[in-house]
Amino acid sequence: MTTTRRSFLKTSLAASTALALPIPAFAAGETLNVALIVPSPAADVGWSHTLMAGVEALKADYGDGLKITLLENIPEGPDADRIMNKTVADGNTLVILGSFGYMNGGLKLAKAHPEVAILHASGYQVAPNFSPFGARYYQGTYLMGMAAASLSKSKKLGCVGAFAIPELITSINAFTLGAQSVDPSIEVSVVWVNSWFDPASEQEAAKALLAQGVDVIFSNAQDTPSVIAVAEEAGVYAFNLNSSMKAYAPTKYLGVVGTDWSPFFKASAAAHLAGTFTGTSAWLGMADNVVFVADWNPDIPAEIVEKITAVQATILDGSFSPFTGPLTNQDGGEAVAAGVTLGDDMILSMDWHVKGVITPLPK
Amino acid sequence: MNGFDFILAGTLAAATPMLLAALGELVVERSGVLNLGLEGLMAVGAALAFITVYSYDSHAMGFAVAAFGGAALSMVFAAVVLGFAANQVAAGLAIGVLGLGLSSLIGKKFESLTITGLPKLSLPLLSDLPFVGPLFTQDIVVWLTALLAVAIWGVLNHSKLGLIIRAVGENPHAARAIGFPVLRVRCAAIGFGGAMAGVAGAYAATVYTPLWADGMIAGRGWIALALVVFGTWQTGRVVFGALLFGALSLGELAAQAAGIGLPSQVLASIPYAVTILMLAVISSNRRRMRLNTIASLGQPFER
Repeated sequence: MTTTRRSFLKTSLAASTALALPIPAFAAGETLNVALIVPSPAADVGWSHTLMAGVEALKADYGDGLKITLLENIPEGPDADRIMNKTVADGNTLVILGSFGYMNGGLKLAKAHPEVAILHASGYQVAPNFSPFGARYYQGTYLMGMAAASLSKSKKLGCVGAFAIPELITSINAFTLGAQSVDPSIEVSVVWVNSWFDPASEQEAAKALLAQGVDVIFSNAQDTPSVIAVAEEAGVYAFNLNSSMKAYAPTKYLGVVGTDWSPFFKASAAAHLAGTFTGTSAWLGMADNVVFVADWNPDIPAEIVEKITAVQATILDGSFSPFTGPLTNQDGGEAVAAGVTLGDDMILSMDWHVKGVITPLPK
Repeated sequence: MNGFDFILAGTLAAATPMLLAALGELVVERSGVLNLGLEGLMAVGAALAFITVYSYDSHAMGFAVAAFGGAALSMVFAAVVLGFAANQVAAGLAIGVLGLGLSSLIGKKFESLTITGLPKLSLPLLSDLPFVGPLFTQDIVVWLTALLAVAIWGVLNHSKLGLIIRAVGENPHAARAIGFPVLRVRCAAIGFGGAMAGVAGAYAATVYTPLWADGMIAGRGWIALALVVFGTWQTGRVVFGALLFGALSLGELAAQAAGIGLPSQVLASIPYAVTILMLAVISSNRRRMRLNTIASLGQPFER
C-alpha cells in the first residue's frame, strides 16, 4: 500500500485531534451510529418495517446522538458484503443485518472489526461480537390457533407458507395445536409457495385454500397484504406475523403475532456502548417483550378471549410450552412423549408436522 | 367450489400477464429482434399502472399509461440496438435491469398499498354450463387478451403487414432490397412489444394482484420469454403454452391445499424443463431449426 500525501495528512490529522482531545469511548451524551440493512423495502408493514421501528425506538435513549443509516432492498450476496463493509467504514459501530443470507459476509466483517457489534436476523452462527436473533412466533401462533378454532365453521384452517423451513413449520404446528386445544377436530391445510416474495402466487395459494372450504387463513411470512386482502374480500378471517395489517382487512382481521425489536436493540446498544457486548444466540419471545399478540377481532367469543389470556399468562411465566407431549406426528406416530417438553434445539430444527396438518411436508 | 373449479376459474387470469407479454415479444422476435428486457418492462408498466389507478381510480387510464411507459422504455432499447446496431442480448438485459430499478424508484411511495381490482364478468349461457362453467367468469382484460391473441395471429399469418414483419425477420437484406424499411418495421415491433409488456405489468399489479410491491413481477417476464420459444414462434402454441403454465402453477397450489403430497418444487420447475426440451428438439437437426426459428433473430441489421 502506498501512502499518498493526502492520506498521510488525513491520518496524522486524525491522530493529532485524537491526542489533543482524548474522547473517552462513548462517554455521557453518547453518540451511536447504527446501520440497518434489510432485504426488502422498509414499507409501512412487514418484516423490514418492524426492524426499522425497533431501531427508531433507540431515539428515546440517545436522542440526537443517534444516527441511523437505513439501507433497504439490498439483495443477499456479494453486493451486500460490499455495502455492510462500507457502513462500517462510514463509522457505524452497531450493524443490524436483517436477513439470513447476510450471515457469511457479516461474520467476516465481525472478525475484521472486533470493535463493531453486529446483530444478525434468523441465523445460527455466533461470534464474540456477532449475535444472531430471532422471534418465538410459535408462542403467538398457538394463541391465534385458539381464536381461529373458535371462529371456524368448516373446522378447516389454512396456511400460506413461504418455504418449508423449521421456523415456519413450528409456527404452523403451534397454530394447529392451539386450534386443537379448543376443538380437537380441526384440520389445517398448508400451501407452500416456495418464494419469500411473490404476491401473485400468494394470492392464488389463498384462493386455493378457500376452494377447499378453509375459513381462517394464516399468512405465514408474507411481507405484503396479499393473503390478508384476499381473505377480507372472501369474508374469511386471516392473521399474519410481524406488523399489523388490520388496515387491509377492517372486518375480518383475526389479529397479529407482532414483533417489537426495541427491547433487544436497546439492550444490545447499551451493552455495546458499555463495552460489555458479547455475541449470544438471542431467540426471543413473549417474556422478552419481543413477541406480542394484538388487534384481536371483536368476533372472538368472550370465553375464548378469557382462555387465551390465561394461556398467554402461562407462556409468559414459562410454565407452559405448546410443544409439550404427548404429541403425535402426521403419520400417527409418537413425536413427543407424554410429559416431555421439547428443548429449543429440537424446536429450532423441527422438520415434522403434528397430527391435524393434512398437507404432507414437501421432501 | 373445489380444487378443480379453482384451477378452471383461475387459469385464464394466471396466464394473462404472461400471455400479454409473450404475444408482444412474439411480434418483436418475428421481426428479428430479441428483447430480453421483458421483466423490467413489465415492472415499469406495473408501477405506472398502479400509481395511476391509485391516484385517479381509472383502470383504463392505468393500462394506457402502462402501455405508453413500456413503449417509451423500449424505445431506448430500439435506439441502442437499431440505431447503433448494438448486441441485442446485452442491450435487452440492460433495459431489463434499468426497468426493475425504475419501477422500484417510482413505486417507492406506494409500497404495499392496495387497490380494488376489476369485477368479473360472466359470459351469458356459457357460464351456466355444468362442469366448465367457472371458466367463463373472468374480468374484461382476460376476454380482451383472447381477442388480441386472435388478432395477432390474423395479422402475423394472414395480412400484408404480417408478411412484411416476417420478411424483415427472416431475411432483412432481401426485405430491404424489395423496398421495405427494415429498421422502421423493427422499431415499430419493439414499440408494440414494449407496450404489450407494459400492459402485462398493468394487469399483474392492478387486476390480477391489485397491490404494488417492489419485485412483484417475480419472474413472469422470464416465463413470457420462455413461452415464445416454447411455442416455437407460433401464436396458437404460445397461447397454449401460457394456459399450460398457468394451469400447472395453480394445480400445484390446489394439490397442496387438498392435502395431496406432490413434490411442489418439481412441479414448479416443469415449465422451464419443457422449454429446454423444446429448444433441444428444435435444434436437434438443421432442417427443424430452419423450419422453426427466425432466421435473423438477434442479429443486428447493417446496410
